[in-house]
Amino acid sequence: MKRREIKKLLVANRGEIAMRVIRGARLLGIKTVAVYSEADAKSPHVALADEAVAIGPAEPAQSYLNATAILSAAQITRADAIHPGYGFLSERPEFARAVHQAGINFIGPPADVMAALGDKIAARKIAERAKVPVVPGIETGHPAEIHAFASRVGYPVLIKASAGGGGLGMRVVESESQLESALEAASRQAKAAFGDGRVFVEKYLPHPRHVEVQILGDLHGNVVALGERDCSIQRRHQKIVEESPAPNLSEATRAKMIDAAINLGRAAGYCGAGTVECLVDGDDFYFLEVNARLQVEHPITEIRFGCDLVVEQIRIAEGEKVMDPRTPIGCAIECRINAEDAAHNFRPSSGPVMHLSVPAGPGVRFDTYLVDGLEIGTSYDSLLGKMITHGATREEARLRMASALGEFSLLGVTSTAAFLHDVVASEPFRRADLSTHFIEEFFSGWRPAPDGDDLDAALIAGALAASGFFGTRGVRAAAKAASGAPQRRSPWDDLAGFQPWRA
Amino acid sequence: MKLKRTDGGDEFDVEIVAHEGEKIRVRIDGRDVDAGVHLSADGGAVIALGGRRFRVFGAKTRDSVLVTMGPASFEFEQVEEGRARGGRGLAAHEIVAPMPGKVLRIMVRDNDEVHAGDPILVLEAMKMETTLSAESPARIKRVLVSEGQMVDHGVVMVELAPVTPDS
Repeated sequence: MKRREIKKLLVANRGEIAMRVIRGARLLGIKTVAVYSEADAKSPHVALADEAVAIGPAEPAQSYLNATAILSAAQITRADAIHPGYGFLSERPEFARAVHQAGINFIGPPADVMAALGDKIAARKIAERAKVPVVPGIETGHPAEIHAFASRVGYPVLIKASAGGGGLGMRVVESESQLESALEAASRQAKAAFGDGRVFVEKYLPHPRHVEVQILGDLHGNVVALGERDCSIQRRHQKIVEESPAPNLSEATRAKMIDAAINLGRAAGYCGAGTVECLVDGDDFYFLEVNARLQVEHPITEIRFGCDLVVEQIRIAEGEKVMDPRTPIGCAIECRINAEDAAHNFRPSSGPVMHLSVPAGPGVRFDTYLVDGLEIGTSYDSLLGKMITHGATREEARLRMASALGEFSLLGVTSTAAFLHDVVASEPFRRADLSTHFIEEFFSGWRPAPDGDDLDAALIAGALAASGFFGTRGVRAAAKAASGAPQRRSPWDDLAGFQPWRA
Repeated sequence: MKLKRTDGGDEFDVEIVAHEGEKIRVRIDGRDVDAGVHLSADGGAVIALGGRRFRVFGAKTRDSVLVTMGPASFEFEQVEEGRARGGRGLAAHEIVAPMPGKVLRIMVRDNDEVHAGDPILVLEAMKMETTLSAESPARIKRVLVSEGQMVDHGVVMVELAPVTPDS
């Protein structure tokens, strides 16, 4: 196969993943093009890239989801490849197809592979063909068959939207009497949310863990696996703490899962970086879905395997063979610091970054786009940064994470850092008592409620702050922006003695 | 002053009653608490209390008081009794000493026009310099203190007359 060298890569994303992809491309000497919405004009990914193109207003549909604008940006800048990051257009086969048809290299699997894996029913069939265990389930058809299925596996059962993802379009049915109305409602919702009303019914696993396998496939038909990640700790079906390897998993189960993921990747004709997600119940595992893209939590795999997955993605797209995975070292944990208020059902927060303290030191990595003065809005997902730690043992990685989160500090935007610190420092996490219900089991009703000296210190800091004690310039300017008070004049106003512009 | 947790609703009576060097005495709901306050180069501070050291940052916005203590953040509403700082939503018409201290430098004179964010004067308190700035465009009506003067908490130091931008 002819090598398709990439010289200029457009990054069709924003935030920390845009920064991450630009850094990967730079390592290979590839020029980068950032795209940005009006809301992100001052965002650091725009400054980091070699070129930057504005693609539209803040609303995702008009910017980061605007395939036409992004393709135009690629053509104008003569980019020969597009990396979609995660989210946005990363798993839209029609986008991958349009990129391909424009003669531009899409960093990801071929559109038809993506389409097959993106449909839960089609993906289940691929898994069954590859002899990968799936959760016992039934496609919706005759109501009598569904009733018979549900009675056979026992209630509760789970209804899922075929086109759903990220926990959207799922509902648990507790008893037979609710089944029919739940099916109807689920189908109606799926139709509204995804434009596809197909749903299917699965046996409900009451206390599962979420474990996934990182795979890499190349254009020559090779598929390798880079270990697994446990991502059981979730809020609203979205991961917030991930670790690798999965603790308390028997070697036999681990080996079987990794083989199954490789087989599934081969059966699907997978190419690029992908993740095979499974539910684990004791020593049994069941295929859940394939994420046909780079995952948010990819750094914990990179750290253990000593590789750069963005670099691997690009080399695979250029036609090179997949890497030979080395023996993984130690344990890695990732915590997602989100702009959310964990004390109030993780509601989104926003505001200016008035002060930022970031930890460092051995085994600590922080992937972020946070900088002092950045305005965090609510137009996009709430991920601010990913704290990643590495240790020789799980306990070492855990203690390092607790220490790193303890050093982290963000003024101006409420983040989940304190909550994550308490999770990582907790006894249930120490003993790896993991399930997808971890948060509701051990941390429901969590409040950052200091008492004793902690409360006194917070109040003293409050009294000092109220008295104007923390009066540095940056903080004051940001505070003014937050308060809606008139802002400092534009720095342009301070430039004197220039002639008006004549083109 | 009264500080109220924005969400929890708990209200606390907090007052800085005395300080010397880096030592501070704060009355919290009638209980005197002594602590050390050590300013850091990055604009934050370390509060030493009960044998522990708390790394804090803070800011005051128009509507609230923000504090971080390690990874945790707290938002207080200042339930203001006492001195007028202008009505809620209006810019202050006075520069008031936020704590007892010494007027170190005065950057304005009567009738000067200032922009939002322009420094007005520097107050030295607790061995630290605090710059007090204009919150909105204004004309200096009257400077009521002189450099080197000691002032008490709440003393009006400068009177301002607001001007509308571009007027």
